[in-house]
Amino acid sequence: MSALGRPAVPRFAHGSRVPGWDEAVDLQKDPAVIPDLASTAVPDDLRHKIEQAMAKYPEHHSAAIPALHAAQDVHGWCSPEAIDQVAAVMGVTPAYLTSVATFYDMLETEPRPRHHDVYVCTNISCSLRGADDLYEAMIAAAAGHADVHVRAFECLGACDIAPMASVDGEYVGPLTAEDAAQIMEDLGAGREVLAEKQLRYRKCADPGVAEGADEFSPPAGPRADTAGLEDE
Amino acid sequence: MPRPEQKVIQLTIDGREVQAPEGMMLVDAAKHGDVDIPYFCYEPKLGQPVGACRMCLVEIEGIPKLQTSCSTPVKDGMVVHTQTERVHHAQNAVVEFLLVNHPLDCPVCDKGGECPLQDISFGWGLGRSRVIEPKRHFVKPLALSPVIAIDRERCILCYRCVRFSQEVAEDYQLVFAERGAHTFVSTHDGHPYVAPFSGNIIELCPVGALTSKPYRFRARPWDVEGAGGVCMLCPAQCNVDFTVRDEKVMRVLARNPPHEGVDDGWLCDKGRFAYQAIHVDERITAPLVRDGGELREVSWDRALETAAGLARHAGRVGALVGGQATNEEGLLIGRLVRDGLRSADLDCRVGGAPDLGTARALAAPSLQATVPDLEFAHTVVVVGCEPLDDAPILDLRIRKGVRRRGVQLAVATARPSALDSNAQTVVRYDPGEEAALLSGLADELEGSGEPRSSLAKLLRGGGEDVVIVWGERLPTDALPALLRVAQALGLADHEGAGLLEIPAFANGRGLREAGVLPFAGPGYAEASAGRGAAAIAQGVGDGDVTALYLFETDPLRDQSDAGLWRQALDRAGLVVAHASLLTEGLREHANVIFPADSYAEKEGTTVHPDGRVQRLRTAIGHPGQVRPGWWAISEVAKRCGLDLGVLTSPMAFKQLVQAVPFYAGLTLEEIGGRGVRWAEREAASAMPDAPGDVGRNSDMVRENPQTSAPSSNGHLRLGTYRPIWASPEVEISPALQYTIARQQAELSPEDASRLGISSGDTITVSQNGTSLSAPAVIRSGVPAGTIFLATGTVDDSANVFTAPDVEIRK
Amino acid sequence: MKILFDRIDEPGLNTLEVYERRGGYQALRKALAMAPEEVLQNISDSGLRGRGGAGFRMGQKAGFLPHGEMDKYLVCNADESEPGTFKDRELMQKNPHTLIEGMVIASWAAEIDRAFIYIRGEYEQQAEILEVAIAEAQGAGYLGQRILGSDHSLTLVLHRGAGAYICGEETGLLDSLEGKRGNPRLKPPFPAIEGLYHGPTLINNVETLSTVPHIIRMGGTEYAKIGTETSTGTKLVSVSGDVQRPGNYEIVLGTPSREIIYDLAGGPPEGREVKFWFPGGSSAPVLTKDDLDLAYDFDTMAKAGSMLGSGAIIVVDDSHTVLEVALKLAKFYAHESCGKCVPCREGTNWTVKMLQRIEAGEATPMDLDLMASVQTQIIGNCLCVLGDAMAMPIGSMVEKFRDELGAEIESARERARAGDLQDVIPLGVADKHAGPMPVH
Repeated sequence: MSALGRPAVPRFAHGSRVPGWDEAVDLQKDPAVIPDLASTAVPDDLRHKIEQAMAKYPEHHSAAIPALHAAQDVHGWCSPEAIDQVAAVMGVTPAYLTSVATFYDMLETEPRPRHHDVYVCTNISCSLRGADDLYEAMIAAAAGHADVHVRAFECLGACDIAPMASVDGEYVGPLTAEDAAQIMEDLGAGREVLAEKQLRYRKCADPGVAEGADEFSPPAGPRADTAGLEDE
Repeated sequence: MPRPEQKVIQLTIDGREVQAPEGMMLVDAAKHGDVDIPYFCYEPKLGQPVGACRMCLVEIEGIPKLQTSCSTPVKDGMVVHTQTERVHHAQNAVVEFLLVNHPLDCPVCDKGGECPLQDISFGWGLGRSRVIEPKRHFVKPLALSPVIAIDRERCILCYRCVRFSQEVAEDYQLVFAERGAHTFVSTHDGHPYVAPFSGNIIELCPVGALTSKPYRFRARPWDVEGAGGVCMLCPAQCNVDFTVRDEKVMRVLARNPPHEGVDDGWLCDKGRFAYQAIHVDERITAPLVRDGGELREVSWDRALETAAGLARHAGRVGALVGGQATNEEGLLIGRLVRDGLRSADLDCRVGGAPDLGTARALAAPSLQATVPDLEFAHTVVVVGCEPLDDAPILDLRIRKGVRRRGVQLAVATARPSALDSNAQTVVRYDPGEEAALLSGLADELEGSGEPRSSLAKLLRGGGEDVVIVWGERLPTDALPALLRVAQALGLADHEGAGLLEIPAFANGRGLREAGVLPFAGPGYAEASAGRGAAAIAQGVGDGDVTALYLFETDPLRDQSDAGLWRQALDRAGLVVAHASLLTEGLREHANVIFPADSYAEKEGTTVHPDGRVQRLRTAIGHPGQVRPGWWAISEVAKRCGLDLGVLTSPMAFKQLVQAVPFYAGLTLEEIGGRGVRWAEREAASAMPDAPGDVGRNSDMVRENPQTSAPSSNGHLRLGTYRPIWASPEVEISPALQYTIARQQAELSPEDASRLGISSGDTITVSQNGTSLSAPAVIRSGVPAGTIFLATGTVDDSANVFTAPDVEIRK
Repeated sequence: MKILFDRIDEPGLNTLEVYERRGGYQALRKALAMAPEEVLQNISDSGLRGRGGAGFRMGQKAGFLPHGEMDKYLVCNADESEPGTFKDRELMQKNPHTLIEGMVIASWAAEIDRAFIYIRGEYEQQAEILEVAIAEAQGAGYLGQRILGSDHSLTLVLHRGAGAYICGEETGLLDSLEGKRGNPRLKPPFPAIEGLYHGPTLINNVETLSTVPHIIRMGGTEYAKIGTETSTGTKLVSVSGDVQRPGNYEIVLGTPSREIIYDLAGGPPEGREVKFWFPGGSSAPVLTKDDLDLAYDFDTMAKAGSMLGSGAIIVVDDSHTVLEVALKLAKFYAHESCGKCVPCREGTNWTVKMLQRIEAGEATPMDLDLMASVQTQIIGNCLCVLGDAMAMPIGSMVEKFRDELGAEIESARERARAGDLQDVIPLGVADKHAGPMPVH
């Protein structure tokens, strides 16, 4: 950013932002073939989760994304070690999984220990309502919180609460700059994030949804729309 | 499986009537009408088109949007336009987009002059660029592997290299990382792309992004000439194109167009890079004679005179011929040994010898499968061999059949195979138990009852086109059972089915046909029985053989029982060798060494495992004092009192055709550049029949006496294999230093944990007082109770062991 | 008229108990009593057009699937990633069983016994709700073997994505579901012939499949009476951006756009007026305030040079510049381009650079011609529609707001000359130019 708040022309930065472009291989390493499960240590519950995922599909490769999600939950990111473990269980090469992991935004391929994810939507609808400032505010608020990772994210599908963010999967909005600090506080305290702004409590905007509904009554308590989840 | 029938249809391209097989991709069909459609990503060898580069867009009447001609099968009556404004607009667009980021460093780019991007920009681009944004710049070139450099600025993400890794070699080490304009070709976590076929991606790359380190900056396309040849580094005998500059091989490429009957357009890295062995300083380029214990360079005359000492050992000469020898060389050696030196002790095989009947039966033309059969069979069975090590290119062919044509694959090997994961059925047995496996299978298939084993079920119910791929290393006691299986399956005279033997050495098949066998003369003719390879070594010990003639082979490397051979070489009164590299056995024991010519220098013929006679042509001149092998043999013969009557290589070929009845009438013209399968010629009927009932009532003795299952601690059954990289050419090639085969001990997880061994531990393997040490490798697929060791390695080869069991210690 | 949103906020509607109480799964019983052809006929009769973006008739698409014994698949596209679209989210969160019921019926109609819901990875709550609902439906015999004693069986697996816009493209979705990178595939073959795991595959959007039970309940011809002749039924519209009441609204197709933007969503904030709007997600060419009275249906939007797309209206008022929106848009598509085909990968990327050049005061009005030309070089030349999805709206902005963009170019140049834009790097000087590294 320049002094005027306008972005600098990042024309030369283009490639160097991408990790890997400038990296040669390490010729001392062995080729990365399918790791042998006999000599790869995989945490039991991770292995179980991956095997369960594999069993759900006619072709076990389909389990790549669920398996990487599971490994990321354990390791914080898709580290080479995490990928080796998944590869050993799935019987695929680590490169196959690296290729998949780097394609998807939610799979982390940069070193990051277990952390909280804050995705700030900065796509059009949110941006029209101030998402770029919110993102700056969120970055500023997260300074000093090493365990919080703030990312600008593409449309999260919640433009009705723009500008918004997804905090560890919990959608909150519309947010103001002040909410950023509250989010950090809530995360730090380990409590529900910005409870009053969670999408799950929000009612449909369409005024006609209650039309002609005799038995219709407004939600009794919070979490009405997820009632029944707790029993499962 | 019936091969797809081709119906010829007619379509119109740019107003021209073009005839092409129905279903052919439009981009290929256009070539039939001399219409050139540009493309980058399309490459039929790689399988289904991806349509990524968008260069081949054309207009097809009746379809509103432009279509990629690489993915559009032609139909009768199709009307195509490639020269309309819309098409030109799209072509200009794609070229302009590609050059948004592709650097214009052609003057320093290795691909310059043979670069599709250069050609297409020139032919189909706008001729000017409107991009004023600076291009991106990265560190370059970077290492992708010890032999491949990558330049990511130049990469146009055409998918060819990654598709090769993923869908042809199926090693899946090379992938795209990241997304969009950030996408780049990568491996996992900085691991090098090291795989047996990695070099093919250099040839596939349509820009200068992937370059060969050994070839970088060695020549420009206009400095070099191409010479067709045949790679003689393994039995696959791939058709290659030597890039020659100033009488030196600069690189090796797959020959174009791809030969579907041989290599399908691919090469392994050994074939691609081990050409360097031709030009190394260590190569023997002058005759050597041992003088006062030292080998010294001498004149040909002096060397030939020394070799003429063989005549004094007449009747007691044993000869071994290595796999790179041509048919002609084999024939001439046979004549030298049999007629000149009155000996019948010659062999080109490793291990034991079958009887003549079995050998004839196995070589019968009616029973031979072809390489394309691997792709179109209902079922392919791999027995007792590892195609990846023994004839690598066949590994790719088998994978192709499974992947693209739904071939059912069965793998029956003692050692876990690279093909296991592609197989429907995998059978493991104890090393050396092939005979038991095959006769069990034959019993099942001959019987009328329901087959019990999964292999028999597959063979019984999986379609009649069955190809059995087997290796020469199969113990001879298993061969009669193999014939029984073939008979039970009715493979003889069955189009698209049969046996495909992978010989132990490159021209193993041709040499046998030329009569380099202890039990048969040229054309499998009856001959007075002599000693086979193993018996020759024994014979030296017994004093019955006193001189050895070693043509392009070192028994310490190539034969089993290294201990016995070491003694034999030591004891032999005279050892005459032809060689290009001084391997251990020769360095220590040879009395005379003639410099051998390489496969790029040789002239002659060779026979592919499926019976295709191929021509070796001289691509480069003979360096130093190297002379053709046929000339050297005939000079030796002359000095031993036998005139072979050979003044040129074609004269030797003529003798070969006369000596081998089933080659009758064959000419060099007929063989041409693509070779010819003799089994398909009329003369094939001249192949002598095997005496009836071969294989059923064989009284051959088992080579490996039955032993009780290993049980006591530390005792394991030994299995051996020869890795693809175990060859002197690899060891001497600078580019391939990273891949030299080292001994390693493959153990099952069960045995490893029982014996407290972890991967990487150095363990000692011993037997009868002989031992070697090797790092342990724990492999899931290894059956408990067995251990696998490599042979043919430069050090610690497992050919020192002769008994079935070994003892291991940490 | 509310069909999909009928009493959508009713507490516990996401549970089987409430859903059944409201008559849930009755349409399934009705459908299972019919022959598959009859169910398919009802869907065809309804005229239901796909709600995901392309607007292809569902009945026709299902009819493309071959008959007979083979592995066929039904895939629900719940990747909802088109900017401005959030209708499926509300449906899945509040009424997951309608989707499940719709999938069971659709699979019966197309004789499919294996189904997947591909939900975008970011929708974690909705995925949890669906998991629970699937388990409930399974337990009650609405899923699994011999559903409700009929000949129909269906296994339904929920598959979570991991964040990639391109996986909303049906073939990209299939690759992703097969565990690969979400790269779109060449078409033909179309998924109906060769889709998931090479089997014939029917892919439909959440809203489309959720409508199916209602079609069966009402009868196809009855449903077709709602809306216009070629755009039947009701549609969920996500209205966002510069409006006072952003949110999802269920409208009858053919409703005037002004009614949706002003009456339902409250129009732009006080004192502002609509400058332009995207009628069908950010991939749709923009319309201006002159187009507000157009009827909101598939054909009218297409005739106006845009599209109804996923039914997401993004309103931009006069407080924002076109350049700002265009740059946001181009960056988004450059970020989401999968990189497989050249025009999209390089074209989106180049467009971003050109827009940044305008912003930095380094462009001339001639660059607008170049920009427009580059967009025409992308449109129609790509492997999938992502490239077009950027090129069409950007092209429409250049066309419709040329004067404004021209003025923006001039004023940025002025600022640059005045030295306000100090961190602009002079052309031709690289900040990162590494020399060749030795190759070993």
